[in-house]
Amino acid sequence: MSPIALIALVIGIPSLLFLIYVFVRGSVGLRRYILTRIVLTLPMVFILATLVFFVMHVLPGDPVSSALGPKGTPEMLARIRTQLGLNDPLIVQYGRFLLDMVTLRFGNSLVLGHRPIIDEMSERFPATLELVVPASILALLIGVLGGTFAASRRKRASDYAWRIYSVFIYSLPIFWLGLMFQLLFSVRLNWLPVSGRIDAALGSNLVRITNLYSLDSLLTGNWPAFFSVLEHLVLPTLTLGLILSGVFVRMTRINVIETLQADYIAAGRARGIRERVLVYGHALKNAMIPVITLIGLQVAILLAGAVLTETVFSWPGMGSYLVQRISTRDYTAVQSVITVFALLVALISLAVDVVYSLVDPRVRY
Amino acid sequence: MTIQKENSSETTPEAQDWTDELERVGFIRSIFLARRWYGADWWFVAISTVMVIIFVIVALLPGLFAPYDPHEIVGSRFLAPGEHPAVPVLIVPVDSPFNSLKDLAVPAGESRPPVGVVQGVPTGGALNELAQVIDDEIKNEPEGLRLRPRINRYPNIEEALQAVADGDDLAAVIQSTEWEGGMAEQFPTLREGQSITGEISSTGGFFMGTNDIGQDVWSRLLWGTRVALFIGFSASIVALVFGVPLGLFAGFLGGPVDRLLSLVMDSLYAFPGLILAIAITAVLGPSVLNVIVAIAVLYIPTYYRIVRGQTLSVKEEIYVEAAQSIGARRAEILWQYIFPNVIPSVAIIFSVNVADAILTGAGLSFLGLGLPPTIADWGIDVARGQRFIQTGWWMITYPGLAIISVVLAFSMMGEGLTEIFNPKLRER
Repeated sequence: MSPIALIALVIGIPSLLFLIYVFVRGSVGLRRYILTRIVLTLPMVFILATLVFFVMHVLPGDPVSSALGPKGTPEMLARIRTQLGLNDPLIVQYGRFLLDMVTLRFGNSLVLGHRPIIDEMSERFPATLELVVPASILALLIGVLGGTFAASRRKRASDYAWRIYSVFIYSLPIFWLGLMFQLLFSVRLNWLPVSGRIDAALGSNLVRITNLYSLDSLLTGNWPAFFSVLEHLVLPTLTLGLILSGVFVRMTRINVIETLQADYIAAGRARGIRERVLVYGHALKNAMIPVITLIGLQVAILLAGAVLTETVFSWPGMGSYLVQRISTRDYTAVQSVITVFALLVALISLAVDVVYSLVDPRVRY
Repeated sequence: MTIQKENSSETTPEAQDWTDELERVGFIRSIFLARRWYGADWWFVAISTVMVIIFVIVALLPGLFAPYDPHEIVGSRFLAPGEHPAVPVLIVPVDSPFNSLKDLAVPAGESRPPVGVVQGVPTGGALNELAQVIDDEIKNEPEGLRLRPRINRYPNIEEALQAVADGDDLAAVIQSTEWEGGMAEQFPTLREGQSITGEISSTGGFFMGTNDIGQDVWSRLLWGTRVALFIGFSASIVALVFGVPLGLFAGFLGGPVDRLLSLVMDSLYAFPGLILAIAITAVLGPSVLNVIVAIAVLYIPTYYRIVRGQTLSVKEEIYVEAAQSIGARRAEILWQYIFPNVIPSVAIIFSVNVADAILTGAGLSFLGLGLPPTIADWGIDVARGQRFIQTGWWMITYPGLAIISVVLAFSMMGEGLTEIFNPKLRER
């Protein structure tokens, strides 16, 4: 079984079971909300796919001739164009494109051994996952704690310090931050590896099960490989996580401030509840609901950040795959990667909204 | 904690006095008076405005501040900031007619002039390169001169200079520092000619060093301001021009048009902007205009969403209803009653958007997409520096700091304005 299918099963089956549970046990309003939300996701996927099609097929520029380069003879060009169906009318191409993308038939790469793109993705996708998950956790920790702390000390020095932190972090080019980490920790201090996912020697004898190297090395009890993986993860995670944390601090702060102005907080204060309990217990709990939705919407920043982080650290994930294939003009691969990104965005925003509706009973259609 | 004291003293009657006073004084003075209300936020906006003005001036007239042309090779490669550049000079006998490298050119067919260099020192390579450049220049002149020195390599400086003193070589090329540091006394029959790099070599060093081909990092950085601000402003203005009217109409009209537009805009908003920009620039090809188009498309939804939301809430206000009841036309209501209300939010988004656009533009050019590689741009410079991360930290660090300071100025402005204009956050 391919790793991508494995991961899909591990994530997919529990969420499906959860959805069924919610459907059986939930109220009529909740059921209707979730159904509507799922139905609304379809046009979103459709619009994004159309956008990708428009960019890749309708905008001027001939991907095939640029893929072949000066070596391509007119016959070769014509053959590949017919093979890819680029001579058909646009509407036929559009229909076929939508069908292929929905059924995940991505076709073969135009260059480099003409491998099936789905195979390449199943190697690349776990790498991105391995980077993105710890980075998000780091960002959440910094963001929620820092934002709440700043809100509780509104207009005091520590509040301004956190605000300056979030504005400053937001202004950092992520690729530059990554390079600075490399300069400091790899080139100068020589503490951590510059790039890659694992030491080449350890990587060659690592048994790949899920292609999540940290998980694979744990499952096979390969400790040297595990530590090598962790070592390689530190800098990319720090880079991506710090950049994300700026936005999270800001959102948490604004929402906690709004919640702290609510009447029930004033009532709690009047009853003599300690300020810390009020802020971290009462206010944060309620402020977290909008914060989680907003954070769910930051998938976009996360994915864009992943593209740059992966490029800087030569991390063999989806982002660096996209950049690499753009430079080799492999447009079937480019189009497939972008479509997968679009699907991810749509699915995650669906998941966030469903969770939101479970937590906050006011959200119903 | 002075800030807090000021806030706590702002009780209602005093605030009333301030509003009265604000109406009496002029616009400029009222801006300064506003400092008392907004404390640190006012300073956020003030400092960032000054920074933005400085950046705009630099972007308009980079030539005034930059010591060199950003594309010109002005020194040796990989000079660290402030490092005294090694200037390779021509050493010739005292009575020699030759003074510069160009003087060594001879008519085609004559024997090549022998020149001595020290083994294993980069001057030999530099000599070859420069001779080639000069040769290409004079090749087509009517005199028919060619410059192809025969390079003799010696194990150390003394032997190279001795060969010139003995008359075996016409000249030798060594570093000027080496000549001044003792060799001049040792060989009294020789004298220092011109530097072989000609006029362009600077002896003062470079404030931010030189890059991998010997361009001045500081000059490139100043010229990069122009591209960055141009992309940032143009992309945000284009997005504003499309986004604001769409948001106004969708919010005001409602109905199916609104629903369809919102669906499209929300989808676009959720999509990772950089990835879409990558796709667009990859298909359109590299040019400044294409980058602007790609980034502008990303930001239309930002304006659309905010303006639509505000329009929806303002539409329900009593004064809009009043205007409707006295028979104001719909265009009039939209323009005179609703539009002024969205201006503050649009100003905030605009400044944040410029910051965002500059970051996205830098990201694109870092990836090698978007801008043609010849342009002096910060993202391109960082990407070039990445290949030499082991040798030249300055090639990465300084362009990055430039991006940060410009983006910081715009986002600080947005942050301060949000805090000032967002009534939701105002303390009760």
